[in-house]
Amino acid sequence: MSRRLLAAVLAVGALLMIFPFVWTFVTSITAGGDVLTTPRLIPEQAGLDGYRKLFEVLPFWRITVNSLVLAVVSTALLLITSSTAAYAFARLDFPGKNVVFVAYLATLMIPMQVLVVPLFIEVRAFDLVDTYASLIVPTIASAFGVFLLRQSVAVLPRELDEAAFVDGAGHIRIFLRITLPLIRPALVTYGLFAFMSSWNAFLWPLVVIRSREFMTLPLGLASLSGEYTVQWNAIMAGSVVSIVPILALYAVAQQHIVQSVAQAGLK
Amino acid sequence: MSARPWLRLHRAAALIAVAALALAGCSKGSATKDTSEGGVTTVRYLTFSAAPDHLDDLNGIVAAFEKANPDVKISVQTAPYKDYFTQLQTSIAGGTAPDAFELDYQNFVTYAQAGSLADLAGPAANDKTWQPSVLSPAALDAFKHGGKQYGLPESFSTVVLIYNKALFDAAGVAYPTADWKWSDETAAAQKLTDKAKGVYGDYQPVSFYEFYKAVNQAGGTFLSADGKSATFNSPQGVAAAKWLIGKPGATMPTLTEIGNTPDFDTNLFKAGKLAMWHNGNWQFDTLKSVPFGWDVVVEPGDAQKASAVFQNGVAVSAKSSHQDAAFRWLNFLTTSEQTVTARINSSWELPPLADASKLSGYLDKTPPSNRKAVMDALGKQSLLPVIAKEQQMQDIVNDALTKAAGGADLQKTLDDAAKQVTALL
Amino acid sequence: MVGPRGVRKAAVVALFLLPSAVPLLLFTIAPMFGAAWISLHDWNLQSPMRWTGLDNYTRLLGDAATRDALLHTLYFLGLYLPLVYVLGLALAVGLNRRFPGRSLVRSMYFLPVVTSWVVVALTWKWLLNPANGLVNHALEAVGIPGPGWWASAGWAIPSAVVASVWKDAGFVMVILLAGLQSIPEEYLEAARLDGASAWQTFWRVTFPLLTPSSYFVVVISLISGFQVFDQIYVMTGGGPAGASRPLVQQIYDLTFRYGDAGGASALSLLLFALILVVTVVQQRLLRRWVTYV
Repeated sequence: MSRRLLAAVLAVGALLMIFPFVWTFVTSITAGGDVLTTPRLIPEQAGLDGYRKLFEVLPFWRITVNSLVLAVVSTALLLITSSTAAYAFARLDFPGKNVVFVAYLATLMIPMQVLVVPLFIEVRAFDLVDTYASLIVPTIASAFGVFLLRQSVAVLPRELDEAAFVDGAGHIRIFLRITLPLIRPALVTYGLFAFMSSWNAFLWPLVVIRSREFMTLPLGLASLSGEYTVQWNAIMAGSVVSIVPILALYAVAQQHIVQSVAQAGLK
Repeated sequence: MSARPWLRLHRAAALIAVAALALAGCSKGSATKDTSEGGVTTVRYLTFSAAPDHLDDLNGIVAAFEKANPDVKISVQTAPYKDYFTQLQTSIAGGTAPDAFELDYQNFVTYAQAGSLADLAGPAANDKTWQPSVLSPAALDAFKHGGKQYGLPESFSTVVLIYNKALFDAAGVAYPTADWKWSDETAAAQKLTDKAKGVYGDYQPVSFYEFYKAVNQAGGTFLSADGKSATFNSPQGVAAAKWLIGKPGATMPTLTEIGNTPDFDTNLFKAGKLAMWHNGNWQFDTLKSVPFGWDVVVEPGDAQKASAVFQNGVAVSAKSSHQDAAFRWLNFLTTSEQTVTARINSSWELPPLADASKLSGYLDKTPPSNRKAVMDALGKQSLLPVIAKEQQMQDIVNDALTKAAGGADLQKTLDDAAKQVTALL
Repeated sequence: MVGPRGVRKAAVVALFLLPSAVPLLLFTIAPMFGAAWISLHDWNLQSPMRWTGLDNYTRLLGDAATRDALLHTLYFLGLYLPLVYVLGLALAVGLNRRFPGRSLVRSMYFLPVVTSWVVVALTWKWLLNPANGLVNHALEAVGIPGPGWWASAGWAIPSAVVASVWKDAGFVMVILLAGLQSIPEEYLEAARLDGASAWQTFWRVTFPLLTPSSYFVVVISLISGFQVFDQIYVMTGGGPAGASRPLVQQIYDLTFRYGDAGGASALSLLLFALILVVTVVQQRLLRRWVTYV
């Protein structure tokens, strides 16, 4: 396929991809608060009611800062715990390694819906209900991250480690100086997903948070639905607000992923 | 290659993590900070009906209560209705239930039967201001279980027939009256429907909440009198299901068209393209400024009148160590002048008072001019069938109605569903 | 006897593994044992627990609702997994080439990953509306009668698959792109110098070197696909009349709506066992296929 044709096909596909986002945006600035019966690209009456409502009904800045801080902290923790474990599984030898790895994977195999209650009872025993800590607790480590990063450590040529070994470097030094810089695309990719999963988490924050000052964005958006009626423009405005930071992050992350190509060539 | 900046980044990540863990450790939220300090008892109250639109009203009531009761502080927690019971049940399971919480009538029996609610007789005896006569006896009875008062009725909404006067005028059809029967509604709906213009005569969801009252309207019962078996597969039940299923595609948009869009009915009515709409008085505020005349009337019956009523109540947790203080708050929340005024002024749901004249402030507002229909519907209440396995029963009935609407044999589908529901009882 | 060397080695392993092992043990594995304990009881989350031994398991294994939910889950997975992988791979390879505006186009393909499911469901239900949706209009135009999509029992799951694949392809793309970036440029260069066509280069060099990422995508999608819930819930609500209800919806309803936390826990453990067996078998099968440099 010629390059130009390919670009054209991909561009048309991309237009299909952005359509729901555009719809979200258009509904968010539609006056009256109804969702559009038929999606339109230009609302009949535009207004910022939806956004105003966000600020009127919710402690919006507080909520956004909460979500942001939580996402940054949980991403930082996950990057550390996942990259070290990934190194252990890819580069260290210890008895029962495969069994331990399957045990890690096994933590992904029970739906959160059923873990919520026992985890809540446990967190309550630690007296952590309604604290920031309770929100972070289930996101300190993740087998998803360990697995993703293990794959990227495993493909690094072993000769690099061996050369460093000969120079007298230990595992910690190799991990920090050689492995981490080389798996940067994977770290950035995983960082993005880790951020997203904290940013979008709903069920656990719902059950563990009571105070409005600890509310996160998804909880805030859910609270815009009443018992009988729903303010659609406010919900859509909230969606736009919650999508934009992730998109920005992706744009930045992409630069890092691309840069690393040059690095890989350097070795 | 330079690893240094990267190393710094990693160190920063480690720093963030450690600092955050240290900070986050022990700061409890305001809603759960420990209770009973300096002789002031904090009562935690969980609500779904206040957010998002009536938080200020609730805060006003809280302030009035705290002024009159300086020894009690109310800590309000909110959860959206859709997720409310997930949060509440997890709290109860973890032994951290709020001291007082809202319950809708359909969930009340489940919680009362599970032993999660405190018998209010004791706390009521300790509260000298408690005057049960302020509340409607029927509403009080609704929140009794096994002869004990486990909850106080807080508010109600009723379902009425909302109609667009302009469409009736244009089609030369007389407005609905309180004497209408199903056949009158059908005849009018047919005349009012003009699919070429996208105008529909009628709108009534095919769902449990419409079905149980339609069974009553047809003169049947949903459950047997002893509550031990489902009886909605009777000839009256079949008639009720037929009544509901007959509308989509004929005088109402098809279920496929509706399933597409949230608030389909609201938008259709507001656009002036729906003549008759079975919906609740919570819509009045939404319809305040539509550019055509509209009014309401008690829903048509068939063998008899029977209207759907939704009720919310409030209860005290069986595990609460502040049951007396919690009851005082609930007493204030359901019977005080401040509450009644706040509810009427802000078009919140109505308090179920014994003396309906106190609601005149609500009834005098227009539109709709026939607001009295809201109270008339309450008088013709079709009691919601409530069992311990309520959600499961509703799912079974909703699935059966969907199947029947999709063309499955009606009698057989209802028989199967009745058998399943009887097994739950 | 473990010598000082052995101790040192063990200490290194502990240093690398404990930061993740301890929190996983405390906050995931401990609650899993909690769920196992609950599964041996009759419990509605409110009344005191009542010991029932293995009753929940025997009851659920013979239950028609469980069997239906399992079939719906497998049906979803069988359609979803190959489609999302192939589309994600095509996107990754296509967007790994250089062309003007590449970053922008990549971001566009990533947009569905971050768009909320509520809006995605609205859009796809509108596109796939059996009566007046664009897709059925297009099908009609070429003489194919359109199916009932989300409104019909038979097509409800495929409808959810279409929306899910559309939404998740960007996720697969991002992971595979990271994998593509780590393929040394020299290998591709060498293949080109040997006169290999683009197609040959893909199959002989790119694809084998991408297998570690692919392996990750397949295993993770399988594990999460078994736990499908949100996608189907927003598209069909499990309907019409329960025709697309997956296992995890059943688990959620049993826990929080039907007052049967014991049954829900038992069902999750059965699901857990199933996923574990499939994952282990898959590991055995795929390990040989994965190429490391």
